Amino acid sequence: MTGTIIENLSGRKLAILVSFLLFCQVTCFLIGGLVAPMPANTQNILGTVCRDMSIVKNDTTKWYYNRGKGSCKTVDLGETHHDLSETDIVFAFQMPVPRESKILDYSRWQQNLIGVLQVDIKYHSQIEVQPRSTITIDARLAYRNKGDPEDQWKLYTQSVEKRHLDCDIDVKSEEYLYNCSAIPLFELGSLFHDYYLLNVRLPVETPTMNSHIGHIQDMWLTVINQNGGFTKVWLSLKTVFFPCIIGILVWFWRRIHMLQRKPVLLEKMLLALGLALCLLNMPIEYLTLHFDLPFMLLLGDIRQGLFYATLFSFWLIFAGEHMLIQDASAQSSVKQYWRHLSAVAMGCISLFIFDMCERGVQLRNPFYSIWVTDIGTNLALTFIILAGISTGVYFLFLCYMIWQVFINISHKRQSLPTMCSVRRLHYEGIIYRFKFLMLATLLCAALTVIGFILGQVAEGQWKWDENIELEYTSAFFTGVYGMWNIYIFALLVLYAPSHKRWPVVENTSDTQNLSEEMEFSPLPSERGSSEISSLTSFIRKTTID
Amino acid sequence: MKLFWKVVCTLLLLAQAVMGNWWNLAAPPPQTQVGNTSLETFTTLHKENCHRLEFLVERQKQLCMLSDTMIKVLQTGALQAVEECQYQFRHSRWNCSTVENATDIFGGVLKFKSRESAFVHALSAAALAHAVARACSRGELNECSCDSRVRKRTPRHWQWGGCSEDIRYGEMFSKDFSDSKEDKNTDEGLVNLHNNEAGRRAVRGRMQRVCKCHGMSGSCSVRVCWRRLPQLRMVGDALSTRYEGASHVKVVERKRGKNIRKLRPMHMDMKKPNKTDLVYLEDSPDYCEPNDELGILGTRGRTCNRTSAGLDGCRLLCCGRGYQTRVRDHEEKCRCRFVWCCKVHCEICRFKRDHHVCN
Repeated sequence: MTGTIIENLSGRKLAILVSFLLFCQVTCFLIGGLVAPMPANTQNILGTVCRDMSIVKNDTTKWYYNRGKGSCKTVDLGETHHDLSETDIVFAFQMPVPRESKILDYSRWQQNLIGVLQVDIKYHSQIEVQPRSTITIDARLAYRNKGDPEDQWKLYTQSVEKRHLDCDIDVKSEEYLYNCSAIPLFELGSLFHDYYLLNVRLPVETPTMNSHIGHIQDMWLTVINQNGGFTKVWLSLKTVFFPCIIGILVWFWRRIHMLQRKPVLLEKMLLALGLALCLLNMPIEYLTLHFDLPFMLLLGDIRQGLFYATLFSFWLIFAGEHMLIQDASAQSSVKQYWRHLSAVAMGCISLFIFDMCERGVQLRNPFYSIWVTDIGTNLALTFIILAGISTGVYFLFLCYMIWQVFINISHKRQSLPTMCSVRRLHYEGIIYRFKFLMLATLLCAALTVIGFILGQVAEGQWKWDENIELEYTSAFFTGVYGMWNIYIFALLVLYAPSHKRWPVVENTSDTQNLSEEMEFSPLPSERGSSEISSLTSFIRKTTID
Repeated sequence: MKLFWKVVCTLLLLAQAVMGNWWNLAAPPPQTQVGNTSLETFTTLHKENCHRLEFLVERQKQLCMLSDTMIKVLQTGALQAVEECQYQFRHSRWNCSTVENATDIFGGVLKFKSRESAFVHALSAAALAHAVARACSRGELNECSCDSRVRKRTPRHWQWGGCSEDIRYGEMFSKDFSDSKEDKNTDEGLVNLHNNEAGRRAVRGRMQRVCKCHGMSGSCSVRVCWRRLPQLRMVGDALSTRYEGASHVKVVERKRGKNIRKLRPMHMDMKKPNKTDLVYLEDSPDYCEPNDELGILGTRGRTCNRTSAGLDGCRLLCCGRGYQTRVRDHEEKCRCRFVWCCKVHCEICRFKRDHHVCN
């Protein structure tokens, strides 16, 4: 017979453990809020209109930029140029832009680079832009490193892409600009080089190509990168959590192996959860400081997805194992839960396929977007809706199961007064602690959701005091990340099998527990059975009572 | 008696008018021919250029000399301000007309602390902030600051926490540059400072927020937002509305403790102007008749709109002097077809149109 640690832990020790974990939680939140900068940074770059003087236009060794040696001749698009054609016009975006009289360069700590394009289109009564038109962009991305000559840009990638251009205008009057939606242009999973250069052309190869986009006056590129400081804080957190979780996993598994019986399903699930968390915690981002790894965005998604899948499955099985309806003899396995878990699997697989279609293809072509073509949009929407439905079904199912567990508990509780007082106290304790953990889960989930909503509502930065400025977004990320680590840490600790049946135990001071041990041992149904929680055994006992 | 004071005031103003303002940069300066020849001569000349501009005060000259491109940016700002002013006032009696070869580009009109002066001050401060911010975004100005909005104690370099928005530097620069001319202790200075700030706030208030999600699988778990610089026309429109609702104020000195000077509405029953409102001290001069000393061209010969009941209507614009109607052949571009990037194929349509001109 075994119980878990949570049942045999005295209230005082539980309180100490909980307050320690809470302290860690607050620390995580504050580290994010006080040390880390905001997660991502943007730079708005106004495109310089360059004049392409070369005769061969498809030459990818010729680059146009506005700073440094060999900078281009600029053109003012406000005037009409009859000597120019569309092939002579290049919008050049050299990133990053200089600041404080210094030439900035990207650091590998900044992890990734996302480009969003915005076009300023002037209204002309004669040339109205259709509300939903397509813009064809010939985009070429080049890179340069520190120490390279200023004019030596190397081709990184090149592509001709179509994008939807949604424009509307309030004041239909000359000289006013259309209000156009932002166009996501590229996503680089690794920011390996120091300087980047984007050259954008708007080709007209067929008469309909780029014919309904009006008079483009300016082009803005917003580049988004993760902040180096945030990466540093985030990676430090990972570096701390990783060995902690590994350590507690080893301890947990050794403890199970000390028992005579084989590990039960819930213990296996806990182990899987721990492993998934380890995978998530593994600070492999350090590798990006030395190697060019464009798949990091995709890998990050997969790692997160795996963790969520395991966590969701764990909750289902946790509720199921406390359903108290299975017959005691059968060793429960994952197979029994296939119906329940299919929702999780469905959701994960559809998200995975979507991700492979979008970010997977972006490995080959950073300018790729699944949303451009109608088929792609439908495909993407199908997978996202499937994932959404699966999540909905899953949560309905989970709520139903938890409700059933609570109904079962309240049924059994009615028989509590018929028991002797020591046993009753103990059972009430078990219920209390079980509910305590349920509460913890709910609290964690609620905090995550509330934090997320607050972050969406709040306009970026929060000021709570004149002197204390809290970077809320970062605090939310580190806080949530820390919270789920701590949650799983607590699960592993509290749901590890207790070694209370040995005469020499750590908790000898807990006299109540000893008496409970004596109470437990004579019950026949307990012997040799393999329940993980004595909650289940308690229910069975009450039936005997 | 009233007339006497007006004459005295005018004389005083003319004495002051030796000093122009920085928006004189919009006027073609004599050295433009040199400046435009090539970039290299421009870079060597830029310091002298700044020194030669007598309408700049010492601090403005310092700022102007920050870099080679700064004077260009200043000029762009001034040009855009004048252009926008002329657009916004195209229907008014004073149409923001500029005077060549004068110490002040607008003549002496702005020596009155009138609504128009308030508008021009606000618009020029806004246009400067706008032009500087654009130059920063284009990467032309190396000086653009990077005061990270993260706290001071964290390492403040860009790779750690990024930089603030460009408009922040634009505003800072505009504040430093246009406000350095004004003296807080004079009534005029106080009002100009207020209007400059109102102009800058008009830019900030028109910024448009754009967001992008880039969390797991592109979800909105991670979202980043930034703000776009508004078109100067939008700022001009906003300021034009403020111009119409500008408050007539007086300067009140509070003797208690330190000598605090504040702007209070002229009449007690009027709303206290807030930071985004335009304020003025004096009523506008008469723009109907030409006044060479003030550089007012008058409305004689202006085209008016016969059907309009507004300011551009013939009754108001011609100041009751009546108007002449002429039938004119009109040529206009029509049925245009635009070819990206640089060509517009238009036909020219001719038609006759009534043309009303003020007497």
